[in-house]
Amino acid sequence: MDDTKRYQKLLERYRNGDIDRRRFLSLLGAAGLVAGVAGPFTRHAFAESPSQVRFDGWGGVVSEAFRQYAFDPYTEATGITVVDGTFTGADEYLAQVQAAGAGEFNVAHLSGVFDYARYHNLDLSSELNEDNIPNMQYLIPALIDVLREISAPTLSAVPYNYGTTGLAYNRAHISDDEMREKGSMLLIDPAFEGKIGGWGEWKTRIWYAALQSGQDPNNIEDMDAVWDNIRAHRDLALKYWSSGAELMSLLAEDEIYVTEAWSGRVRALQDQGHDIGYYDPPGGLAWQECLFVIKGSPMEATEELLNFMLEPEVAIAVAEGQFYPPALDPQKVELGELVPTLPAFDPTGTLSELSFFDPAYWNGNEADWSREFSRVQRGY
Amino acid sequence: MSGERPQSPTLYSAVGGVAGERGGAETPSVSAPARLRAALKRIDIGWSLITGYTVAVYLFMFIPVAIVMLLAFNASQFGAFPMEGLSFRWFVALWNNDAIVRAFRVSFLLGGLTALISTTLGVLAALAIVRYRFPGKNLISTALVAPILVPEVVLAVALLLFLRWLDIPRSFFLLLCGHVIFTLPFVLLVVQARLVTIRRDVEEAAMSLGAGPIATFFEVTLPLLMPAVFAGMLFAFTISFDDITGTLFWKPGGLETVPTQIFAMLRHSVSPEINALGTVMILLTVGLPLLGAGIARRMARTRGG
Amino acid sequence: MAQSAEGDLSAKPWLLMSPALAAVALLLVIPVFFIVVYSFWLRTAVGAVEAGFHLDNWAEVLTDPFYRDILFATIRIAFITTVLCAVLGYIPAYFIANAGRQHRLLLILLLMLPFWISYIIRTMSWINILGASGALNYGLMGLGITSEPIRMLYNEATVILGLVHFLLPFMILNIYVSLEAIDRNLIDAARSLGSTSWQAFREVTLPLSLPGLAAGSLLCFVLGAGTYITPMVLGGPTDAMFANLVFEAVITQLNWPLGSALSLVLLVVLGSVVALYNRFLGLGQIAKSFQ
Repeated sequence: MDDTKRYQKLLERYRNGDIDRRRFLSLLGAAGLVAGVAGPFTRHAFAESPSQVRFDGWGGVVSEAFRQYAFDPYTEATGITVVDGTFTGADEYLAQVQAAGAGEFNVAHLSGVFDYARYHNLDLSSELNEDNIPNMQYLIPALIDVLREISAPTLSAVPYNYGTTGLAYNRAHISDDEMREKGSMLLIDPAFEGKIGGWGEWKTRIWYAALQSGQDPNNIEDMDAVWDNIRAHRDLALKYWSSGAELMSLLAEDEIYVTEAWSGRVRALQDQGHDIGYYDPPGGLAWQECLFVIKGSPMEATEELLNFMLEPEVAIAVAEGQFYPPALDPQKVELGELVPTLPAFDPTGTLSELSFFDPAYWNGNEADWSREFSRVQRGY
Repeated sequence: MSGERPQSPTLYSAVGGVAGERGGAETPSVSAPARLRAALKRIDIGWSLITGYTVAVYLFMFIPVAIVMLLAFNASQFGAFPMEGLSFRWFVALWNNDAIVRAFRVSFLLGGLTALISTTLGVLAALAIVRYRFPGKNLISTALVAPILVPEVVLAVALLLFLRWLDIPRSFFLLLCGHVIFTLPFVLLVVQARLVTIRRDVEEAAMSLGAGPIATFFEVTLPLLMPAVFAGMLFAFTISFDDITGTLFWKPGGLETVPTQIFAMLRHSVSPEINALGTVMILLTVGLPLLGAGIARRMARTRGG
Repeated sequence: MAQSAEGDLSAKPWLLMSPALAAVALLLVIPVFFIVVYSFWLRTAVGAVEAGFHLDNWAEVLTDPFYRDILFATIRIAFITTVLCAVLGYIPAYFIANAGRQHRLLLILLLMLPFWISYIIRTMSWINILGASGALNYGLMGLGITSEPIRMLYNEATVILGLVHFLLPFMILNIYVSLEAIDRNLIDAARSLGSTSWQAFREVTLPLSLPGLAAGSLLCFVLGAGTYITPMVLGGPTDAMFANLVFEAVITQLNWPLGSALSLVLLVVLGSVVALYNRFLGLGQIAKSFQ
């Protein structure tokens, strides 16, 4: 549709004599109009062409908010179309990027520092010109620093939102006091056998098992104790959940009483009137999400898009849709009414109380641990 | 008018098959043995048991469907029992949700084209395998079923690697090819199974009466094959409509099907609008044929009387 | 078309198969060739692939009991699923084939109804039926049969339940298509010769419906053995099938070489089942009984 419109506009200018024939044809090519017909040969031109930028992220409320508050205004201002795709998880998306090769994908809403490091190690990172993204001034510096540490001195992504993976509990069965007293040990408390859940993801399982064995998750000394705690949890657990939707229905249907959980999902449940508590235990896990620009993207166009997406108005709308606080510094930006009430929100903007994955440590152990977890999970 | 038989060639003749025609195409009325059988059926205890069993199996199939339909009318997002209140809010939301409606259109088009193409390919291949002898037959018939033997995620990645090697970008056409490839075995298996039961002497009789091979196919074999063709199309359509793994990997940017929309929502929570969409589809699927049958019967009655 | 003399070596069958063969060759055989090549490569420390000729993946896949155990569990689950589908599906297929023709379309469309609701939604909705506060427990407690909710979900049985629910329509339709083709005159003839209806069924109907039963069983077995979403949604922490390992290797661990080797194992195992089907239950054999 948009290509056709652009073509008509160009045609009009050509007929009016505003542009000569050669320029008309080259603009036409750049507009990607012929891409569908010419097929394979135009792909590279397509990727370089500033006529469109591809964004991949989470669907539902998030993509609706982006479309309304960022993509449409961006297209209006620049004439560049945003083609948006969705993915179901960071792992699956990375597999796609690797299989398709860089250039086809441009910007992605990726999770955490861990994935940033993974993309960087796989040589998929780009170099942002931060001068083109003035809205970065509103961001929490701590969130930028961890990214820059990996790809110093340049950045390949901008932080966008953060949250925690704390403990959710059914308050009809577990009191606030009990939760505060026992913390992550409740996940391996035999009293709740068959009523325990957990995320079936190796990093989270190892993190909480490290806490249960009294170790620093970013510097585990006794790995055997960690695996033992994972086994204990596995045997007591009813179910490993694999998506936020599943987590919410397990909690809402009284299927499980305690699990670790994503802060925003618990908040969504609470808003629907479910009596579910949320607690970030000492050393609980925090994460951030960023807007990552993949190598081979048209840099100026994507930088401008990032700037649009970082407009406080956009970031707040997205935050209110998904219940995760934006990466905006509350000291610099007025965040509205809802955001300060979100779980995991840090009014100081320093995030000094939260613990994140140490990327070097976790990426270094990724190959061994993710494989070992696959076995331990199945009873080995 | 018995109402046994629709007056014009409709879908019914496709599904209903040609059992009546088989006895002799010249007798349009219900044959005497069939009437006798129907009478016997009514008093047959065995038939009652069969009916009861069938109803039970259908109920089993409908349980999750019923739950989803119920949830579509649930005022709150979670907790079906006891239900807190009835509401049409999810239907209103669905009506206003362009993304879901668009995804539905893509899924429907994709499923329809997939069904058409893979049924055509499947019928042709089944004819070759069942009706002819040729070297390497066993290997080839195994290879044609192979698309459902490779785990879909691996096939998805491998196909992408191949396309990167050829430097072909993803497109709707590629997605369609992918769907055709893994619905082909479904069509092939069901058509083959039907084809072996079609007696060759029927075809030979037509040929001996001077019909060419193509005319024989369209006038004898295909009508006899119709139930399997219809089943194959239904398989291909539903498999394509429901597919997630391959679609995730092959879909071009900006294009979503209903399953990819749902999967992308999973991280936060799947909106009950999806339940409403399923409910609408089910009501249409059940309602339209009933309505069609009702109209056909009514027309038959007015014409007859 | 019908005059396929024994040993006919004409070009016709190849012509008929060529579109399907071309599609399979291009979109399946070549990608599988890529998989074979990848299975000899290695994953690098960061998750990329390193070309070469290494037997490490194959050594691991073929010797580690972990993979063998899960492969056996997968075959067991797929087998149970197939048998249940056949047992549950035959009678409804018979019913549809013998129903009045104006009811058949409706019966078949009803059978396919669940597919209008996306697989993941259908599968997840079992929580509302079998869950602690689901319909069944709600009913049982309401009737006073139990005071505590009974734990029914998230074990191997629910995985099989989910698979049967998914695969049953394929079984029923395959059997139906065969049954529908049976010439009623044959049954009537058998009955008029004094057979009881059971005898007529056993002697005439059952043997003639075998092609459909076999095709349906093959489909159920192969699809059941290749699934990964059902165990993920309806299984407990330890329940996994072989395709889950493939998915984890390819997607979670970014270990494409290992995932390739694993999927080739699955391909060979399931491929042998299909080859056996083609050879013994195969169409050539069954077709002969009609000549």
